[in-house]
Amino acid sequence: MRIRIFAFLIVFAALLGTTPSSAQVLVIANPSVRAASVSKNDLRDVFTGISTSLSDGSRVMPILLKAGPVHESFLSAFIGKNDAAFRASWRSLVFSGQSSMPKSIDSEAALVEYVAHTPGAIGYIGRSVPHEGVKVLVVR
Amino acid sequence: MKRVLTAVLALAALPATAQSLDDLNLQVHGYVTQGFIYTTQNNVFTMDSSDGSPAWTEAVVNLTAQPAAKLRVGVQGRYFLMGNIGNAISLDWAEADYKTSDKFGVRFGKVKTPVGLFNEIQDIDPAYSFALLPQSVYDILSRNTWLTHLGGVVYGSTKIPNTNQKLEYRLFGGEQVESSNDPNITLGLQGTGITLPNGWTGPMWGMALHYKPIPSLMIGASDTIFVTTWSAVANWNQPSGASIQGSNGTPPSQNYYYFAKYEKNKVMIAGEYLRNQYVSWFKWPTDPAANSTSRVDQRSWYALGNYKLTGKLTLGLYDSQSLDRQQPLALAGIPNYARYSKDWTLNARYDFNQYLYAKFDQHLVSGTELDYDTNLNPHGIKPTTKMTILKIGVVF
Repeated sequence: MRIRIFAFLIVFAALLGTTPSSAQVLVIANPSVRAASVSKNDLRDVFTGISTSLSDGSRVMPILLKAGPVHESFLSAFIGKNDAAFRASWRSLVFSGQSSMPKSIDSEAALVEYVAHTPGAIGYIGRSVPHEGVKVLVVR
Repeated sequence: MKRVLTAVLALAALPATAQSLDDLNLQVHGYVTQGFIYTTQNNVFTMDSSDGSPAWTEAVVNLTAQPAAKLRVGVQGRYFLMGNIGNAISLDWAEADYKTSDKFGVRFGKVKTPVGLFNEIQDIDPAYSFALLPQSVYDILSRNTWLTHLGGVVYGSTKIPNTNQKLEYRLFGGEQVESSNDPNITLGLQGTGITLPNGWTGPMWGMALHYKPIPSLMIGASDTIFVTTWSAVANWNQPSGASIQGSNGTPPSQNYYYFAKYEKNKVMIAGEYLRNQYVSWFKWPTDPAANSTSRVDQRSWYALGNYKLTGKLTLGLYDSQSLDRQQPLALAGIPNYARYSKDWTLNARYDFNQYLYAKFDQHLVSGTELDYDTNLNPHGIKPTTKMTILKIGVVF
């Protein structure tokens, strides 16, 4: 009986799972990053600490926004987690000795500045934010 | 242990003499948790839980630095109190990690042992929804035995060409060391009149493989082989104070884990099977007739699920079971329910913000195969226990 209830709840929850919403988010990178585009899988692996490079071999370093609607949109569209789950997954890596926490920046303007001057940095901003000095990666 | 810390600090200092702290990417993180447990029928986890007990506190401080692009060093300390256990500060891990690429990295020092689905994070409360992970596989009182080893881990991942499939590997080896006051030893030997004044130690090695056919699904397996030896002292009989030699190493003990996890959007489903096999033997140099051998063939499994109901609220449930197949069905003085443990759990976790969270677990436990402190259950251990847990955590 317990197994049936358990199975029903799991199926019910899976049916309720929604796909991420489209995001008005730009993925940006330091000009040292060779790639002009990045796959969703690569982007998720980099921003969840699984990978430190893109498929073309470019070594990258994820830079996060601390909070805000652009941060939430990015997580929803490309990571598939909310902020709490996203931070929990990074904390599992940090507190088990597998990684350091990625740098978090207060504002989108400051994030653009940091990415522009940091080799290998990759981050995200809203589409309307000025982004001189960085390259925009197409997400495929 | 001092040599491990010295090596790690020396590596951190090598390229760092002219660097600023910012260049080192020096980070400090930590968390504090406070739990409250109430149980019916039995007292658990060496606390008077039938009266409600707050004797469950943890505080962790983590310090990492990156003195070079491919080199990271770190150390983590912990204060742990659970019932009569701990109430001390210990070193979780201290390591240097050199990663050349995603395909190859090496970590050495006192390192987390990368087996199973949750072994590396079973002691990291902020990392998961439940106040207690399934105890059939992740027994909190014996976790020190499996959490870390002195040695190294070689790790990496590779994509299977022309696909989105990924293969991850971990190879590890070193020495397993357990102190004399670890609950895995003290509770395991409770009532036998035997103590291990020097704990136990011995070599261990193993590997883990993770296969990701699609990004949201991981299927894995791991195997650990360990050979531990100890010197014990008898506190009564044969005569009192007699020294005993013992080992889990002939044949070498093995832990096999098989696991899978599916995680997408709001849903996470996971399952795991563990087989823990070993033969313990005790040799009495003064009385060979008292030599004894015991076999353990513990088989454990669980299935669990999480669902993020809202951005802040996550619900969870699991069914967890453990059985020692070597324990006879009927043995004088030992009830049948002592050879298994079953736990059906409902859970909720609420994240107030990125720093503060709370957890609620309701456990329905039957069977007593997992260790109970007989001193705290003087009227005998009952076959079933209901356990309610409230836990709050602050993380930075």
